[in-house]
Amino acid sequence: MNADRFGIGWRPRLAAGILSNLERLDIVEVIADDYFRADRQQRRALRTLAAQTRVTLHGVSLGMASAVPVETRRLDDMARLCDEVRPAFWSEHLAFVRGGGVEIGHLAAPPRCEATIGGALANLARAKQIVGIAPQVENVATLIDPPGSDRDEAAWISAIVRNSDSSLLLDLHNLHANALNFGFNASEFLTRIPTEKVATIHLAGGKWIGRNGAQRLLDDHLHDVPDPVYELLAEVAARAPQPLTVILERDGNFPSIEALLVQLDRAREAVARGRAHLIMNEIAA
Amino acid sequence: MNPFDLTGPQFLVFYIGLSALALIAIVLTRKYAESSPPPKLDLSDPYLIAYLRGAEPETLRVAAVSLIDRGLLVATGTQLKTADKASPDSVRRPIEKELLHRFKRADEATAIFEDARLRATCKPLEQTLKNAGLLPNEQIHSSRMARLLIACAVIAGVGVVKVLVALSRGRTNIWFLVILMLVAIVIAIKISFPRITESGKAMIADLQNLYSGLKDRALFLQTGGATIEPMMLAAVFGVGALAGPSFAYTHALFPRATANQQTGSSSSCGSSCNSVSCGSSDGGGGCGGGGCGGGCGGCGG
Repeated sequence: MNADRFGIGWRPRLAAGILSNLERLDIVEVIADDYFRADRQQRRALRTLAAQTRVTLHGVSLGMASAVPVETRRLDDMARLCDEVRPAFWSEHLAFVRGGGVEIGHLAAPPRCEATIGGALANLARAKQIVGIAPQVENVATLIDPPGSDRDEAAWISAIVRNSDSSLLLDLHNLHANALNFGFNASEFLTRIPTEKVATIHLAGGKWIGRNGAQRLLDDHLHDVPDPVYELLAEVAARAPQPLTVILERDGNFPSIEALLVQLDRAREAVARGRAHLIMNEIAA
Repeated sequence: MNPFDLTGPQFLVFYIGLSALALIAIVLTRKYAESSPPPKLDLSDPYLIAYLRGAEPETLRVAAVSLIDRGLLVATGTQLKTADKASPDSVRRPIEKELLHRFKRADEATAIFEDARLRATCKPLEQTLKNAGLLPNEQIHSSRMARLLIACAVIAGVGVVKVLVALSRGRTNIWFLVILMLVAIVIAIKISFPRITESGKAMIADLQNLYSGLKDRALFLQTGGATIEPMMLAAVFGVGALAGPSFAYTHALFPRATANQQTGSSSSCGSSCNSVSCGSSDGGGGCGGGGCGGGCGGCGG
């Protein structure tokens, strides 16, 4: 029995489209930070949403991959929200978002080294302790190779995921962008990470920025999912037999909901293609 | 101290306080009893939401506007007429079929509110909402009645005893107390049976919260039945929330409904950013909802 789920990121702009197409969506991902300081009415509205469909909470401001401990009050906020909403799971980025008291307003890739692995593992352990459930952790896109790194992204993520209770939320557009920006093979990346710990997939789009010679693919969530990302999704589905949750992220430049649902249908096809490949391999073996 | 030994004015003060307490108790116990976790509801049905918010009149307004938007009804001034190409068989919902049937001959739009057959098409919506506890069902109604009877027993019982005590002591200036008693009972009846339950009120507020982004974009919604958004906007906020020249006809058709609509906007801080991405002082990273026009160095998440 296949229990793969397909959903979309909740954005107020997409409310009518999402709520009128719940039969085509298995799950809705809500940005948790939008509700940390929300009033009672807003939180009740979120509970109403959660009563209609399966909901997952996605954090953007904890800063898990940092040598600095995540502030307890932020984890308390997440714990309270999880208690109220009872999400299917919650997730956060393997990024840092502040340092020396300065909020940088961006999901920055930390140096890939022993110190940030240790920091991330400690933060994930505390998060699990306070929230009650370990978060899924997401790989981030970056426009610069983090200075101070002594290993590549695959090795760094693998060390964190293998040594924690967290599953991996694999953002395939982030992977695609990093692969193009830093000249590595995304498919090979998939062979080096523990795909058995991949639980969720993010799909998104981006655009090229910069001039000739210094171009970078920016993960801006404002464009359609590109074809290579669907191919990567099929590869993950072929490597990961466990149920996957696939979430489409779109933050602006919104097309019609139908256009977004078509992208989700393409994701379903890609996963089905990967699953078929997986079965063929098992039969052959 | 026995309150029935109080002098006339003193007892009236006591009685007003007692009645107020009984009325407050009715409201508070009702709110508590009728609050429940949000139920699962078909949120893709604008008529169901419209019925919850404003019963038959609001549902019929939304249905009429939906048919006009899809070109199946034609609005001319204050009148409606089924479009030449439209037939009741061309639509799925009973309420829409009945509207197209009703306006085969042009008539005033407000006639929909008096039409028993049109109102009857809303009955299944009412039943769905009752089953969900958003409108009072039999059980809720019985509980409300029990609360009312208890409150009235207290209000009337104390009042009647005082009247009897007064009469037994040869006093006949009891009319002010009787009037107070009747007023308190009338108020108790009025506040005991609101049309929707506390859960229903919360559901409306929740929907208005969830759809706040839609209200902000009211001027830019696609018309012509291209999306469900205009109908959801009308269902959740009322037809008066439909803005722009494409929906100007609603003001002529339903002047009272559109006049009552607030013109203000509960903006969630801009059209492309959602609340915390823009407004949080906590900072935090990435987009995750804001998008920030692509000028923030991407999302990365």
